Amino acid sequence: MKNYTTEEFVLVFRTNINRKKHVKSISRLLNNCGEIIRWNVDLTDIDNVLRIEATHPDCGPMIALVNRAGYACEELTD
Amino acid sequence: MQKNIEATLRTRDTNKEALIREKAIEIIVKHGFDGLSMHKLAKSAGVSVATIYIYFKDREDLIQQLYTEETRKMADATLRNFDPEARFDEGLKVQWLNRMNYCLENPYSMTFMEQLKHSPLVSRATMDTRFLNAMSRFVHKAIEQKEIVSLPVEIYWSIAFAPLYQLVKFHISKTSMPGRPPFVFDEAKINQTLELVIKALKP
Repeated sequence: MKNYTTEEFVLVFRTNINRKKHVKSISRLLNNCGEIIRWNVDLTDIDNVLRIEATHPDCGPMIALVNRAGYACEELTD
Repeated sequence: MQKNIEATLRTRDTNKEALIREKAIEIIVKHGFDGLSMHKLAKSAGVSVATIYIYFKDREDLIQQLYTEETRKMADATLRNFDPEARFDEGLKVQWLNRMNYCLENPYSMTFMEQLKHSPLVSRATMDTRFLNAMSRFVHKAIEQKEIVSLPVEIYWSIAFAPLYQLVKFHISKTSMPGRPPFVFDEAKINQTLELVIKALKP
């Protein structure tokens, strides 16, 4: 079995984005962010995880972005 | 900050990924789809919730990927030493033994696939074409050579394979009919059943 590294960084946050309409309301903001390659919110799990594939490993700017849109957002660690 | 970078650096570890998949199937089999939370999965695989999200976009993606992977493994196992050009009775026997061995070696996998068979949670459009082509060639050749009758595929499948899977279930659960001793699906019983199946499919 071999290990490999992908170029993008996966950042994982716990949020209170728990409805489709909330996801919609942050779509434009996240879609327009140049540092974000891909993103999605897992509405089926209790942490409402916002998963971002980004060009850098820095969580700060992402948290600020989501907070500005009016949602709680914290890095999901162990 | 340093910790932050380490935690998010994307070094994929295929062993860890395999363990997450294995535990996810086990949880779904034991507790159903609603019983699978990322927290429970993380705990049982000994990883953090964040780690699971490195490999899987969300719960739906996880379940879909499990289905795709299990389908591929099952197809590989079924096609082992199977020749679609073989005589029908010989080819069916190879398939029966392959399918049976796979189920006995991977009982969770078999139950998981059964749970998903009629579930809206996965798209089943992604069935291995190599597998479908081999099955289709095998059956159509047998029909052309008048080894078996032509039937709607659901009826063909129900006669050719459903008896096998039912008997495997009896064997795995170690129970059968009320008041009967545990059922053991051995070579003699396989041959006995297979003979009846082939007789039923004959023109």
